Amino acid sequence: MIVYIARRMVTAVFMLLAIAFVTIALFFGASKDPARAMCGKPCPPETRAKVSAYMQTDQSAVWQYTEFVKGLFVGRTYGEGAQQVHCQAPCFGYSFPNRSDVTTLIAERLPVTLSLALGAAVLCLVVGIGFGALSAIRKGGIVDRFSTGFAMFGLSVPTFLVGLLVVQVFGFMLNALPYSGFVSFSESPTDWAWHLIGPWMVLSFILAAGYIRVTRTQLLNELSADHLVAMTARGASTRQVNRHAVRGVMVPVVAMFALDVTALLGGSVIAEKVFSLHGLGDLLLSGVNESDLSIVVGVTLFSAFLIIIGNLIADLLMPLLDPRIRRA
Amino acid sequence: MPDPVLQVEDLCVSFTSGGVTADVVRDLSVRLDGGRTLAVVGESGSGKTITGRAIMRLLPRGASARGRIVVAGREMLSADERELRRARGSDVAMVFQDSMSALSPYLDIGAHIAQAVRLHDPSVTRRAARARAVEMLDRVGIPEPADAVRRFPHEFSGGMRQRAVIAMALVNRPALLIADEPTTALDVTVQAQILALLRELQQEYGMAMLLISHDFGVVGRVADDVLVLYAGRQAEYGSLRDIFEQPAHPYTAGLRAATPRLDARLDTGGERTRLRAIPGAPTSLRDAGPGCAFAPRCGLADQVGERCVVEAPLPTVRPTSEVGGLHLAACHLDRLPALQEVTR
Repeated sequence: MIVYIARRMVTAVFMLLAIAFVTIALFFGASKDPARAMCGKPCPPETRAKVSAYMQTDQSAVWQYTEFVKGLFVGRTYGEGAQQVHCQAPCFGYSFPNRSDVTTLIAERLPVTLSLALGAAVLCLVVGIGFGALSAIRKGGIVDRFSTGFAMFGLSVPTFLVGLLVVQVFGFMLNALPYSGFVSFSESPTDWAWHLIGPWMVLSFILAAGYIRVTRTQLLNELSADHLVAMTARGASTRQVNRHAVRGVMVPVVAMFALDVTALLGGSVIAEKVFSLHGLGDLLLSGVNESDLSIVVGVTLFSAFLIIIGNLIADLLMPLLDPRIRRA
Repeated sequence: MPDPVLQVEDLCVSFTSGGVTADVVRDLSVRLDGGRTLAVVGESGSGKTITGRAIMRLLPRGASARGRIVVAGREMLSADERELRRARGSDVAMVFQDSMSALSPYLDIGAHIAQAVRLHDPSVTRRAARARAVEMLDRVGIPEPADAVRRFPHEFSGGMRQRAVIAMALVNRPALLIADEPTTALDVTVQAQILALLRELQQEYGMAMLLISHDFGVVGRVADDVLVLYAGRQAEYGSLRDIFEQPAHPYTAGLRAATPRLDARLDTGGERTRLRAIPGAPTSLRDAGPGCAFAPRCGLADQVGERCVVEAPLPTVRPTSEVGGLHLAACHLDRLPALQEVTR
C-alpha cells in the first residue's frame, strides 16, 4: 500500500510538471505579449523591450519553463535595483498587473472558492443521493418521475442559464436573496451562508443530476441483487438488508464526488461570474483577459494539483469500500 | 406418522401487474419428511423457483401467496416479520443457483457464515462465529478453511463458492433446505461433487431437501420423490422410480425423452436414438383457458379429444411400484401409450 501511494505521488509530480509545460507553451503559442499590457499607452518599441526584459517574457517557452520550475524551489527575482521584485519559494510566478506573487493571490481568493465548493458539494450530495434513493425505492412513483426529469434538466441546461435564472427569480423578482457579493465566514456565518445560497443552488442543481442518476441505477441494481435476497434468506431484517445495499451505492458515488469536489475547488468560472464572487475562477478569467501568464499557470497548476490529490484519495478509498478492487 | 418437515396445502401464488392478475402456481400440495429429498422439476417459468421462494416468503414485489405452508411446525403464510426472520436461515435455508450473485461482493466468506450464525444467536461472539465459519468450511470440503474465511467471493472458483454457500445455508442446521438449481452453473465433474456433498450432509443432519431442477440427470442422482410442474400446476407426483419407469403424464414422458442419457444405447438394444424435443413453448399464464395447460403441446390430446380443451384434469391416483407409495398424475388419459407415440 505504501509503495502504491509513493508511486502515485511520484506520478503526480511528473504530471504536474507536464501540465505546467503545456500551459506555458500554449500561452506563448497564443503570441500575446504580457509586456504590451503593462507598458501603457503610447508604447514605443524601446520601452516595450525594456518592460519585456523586466518581466522576463522576452525569453523562449523552454527558458520560461525552466525558470518556473527553478522558482518553485529557490524563488525567483525579477528586475534589478530599486525595481527589483522577489518572489519567495515556492514561487508560482509573479503577477505584474496585480503587483503581487501568485501564491498570495490564490490564498486571497481561496476562502471564496472554498465556501462555494464545500456548500455546493454538501447540497448536491444531499439532493442527489436523497432523490436518487427515493426514486429507486419508489420506482415509477411521483418522486421518481420528478427527479428523473429534474436530472435530465440539470444535465442538459448550461450553468450560466441556471445562474441567471436564479439571479433573476430569487434576486430581482422575489427579492429574496442577494444576487452578488461575499461575506467571510469569520465576519458573520449567517450572512456568509445567506450570500452563498444562490450560487450553491446553481452549482448543486447542475451537479446533483449526476448523483441522482448514479444513485438511482446503482440502488436499483443492488435492491434486486440476489445477495440481498440471500441475506434475507439468512434471517436479516429489511433494515439490515437496506443498510448493506447502501454499500454498493457508495463506490461510484465516492469516485464521482472526489472528482467533482476537486473540480469545484479549482474554481467555478461561470457561477463566480454570474454572482460576482471573486474566487479562483474569477482570478483565472482575469488572468486570461489581461494576458497574465503567471496567474494562468499558477491557477491551472493549483487546480490540477487538487484534481490529482482528489483522484488519489478516491483511489485509496475505493479498495476499502469494494474488496474486488483490492489486489487487482 | 411423524409430522412432516414441510407441508404445503393448496398453494396459489399470483402476480399482479398493471391491474392484471396471473396465477403462477395453482393448487399445489406437497408433503416432505425429514431425511427425504423431493425434486421439483419443470421448464423455465413453470413456477418451481417461485414455489421455493414462497416457502421462505421471499416472493418478489407484486406477488402474493394463498393456501397453507407449514415448515417445521411454523405457519409461514400467517407468520409476522419477526417470526419469519427467526425461521429463515434457521428452520429453512436456501442454496441459490448462482453462487456469485448470492454472495455479497463486499463481505468475505467468513463474514457471510458468521452473519448467519449471529443473526440467530446474538449471544455468540464475533470471534466464536468466525470459528464456526472455519469449522463449517472444513465440513463442506474447502481446503485450508482458516485461510479461506478471509477470502472474498470473487477469489473463489465456482465449485468452492457453491460449497461456501452450502456452508452458509447449513451452519444453523435447518430442518429444510431449499436448493434452487444448486449445480446448474457448475461443470459436470463439480456438479457430481456438490450433489454428493449435499446428499452426505443431508444424511448427517437428517434434514429434508427440496431440490429445484430442470435436469433429470441431477434429479435421478439425489431425489427420493419427484414433483413435475407444468404452468404452475402439479402435472405428476411420485417416487423417483415411478416417475422414471412408468410416467403417467405425457409431459413427464416428454421431459424424460428430452434428457440425454449415457445408457441410451443399451435401452434401445444398441440402436441410435435421437433426443426428442417437446414441440412448442409453455403457454402464457395470462391467457390460460379452462382446459389442460399442456394440451396445445400434447401429442395425445387428439386421442382424448374435446375434454382436454374444456376441462383441466385433476391429479388422480396412478399405479405405483412402491409399497405404500403415492403416484399422482393430472391427465385425462388413464394409461400412457409407449414413449415414441407420446412425443410423436
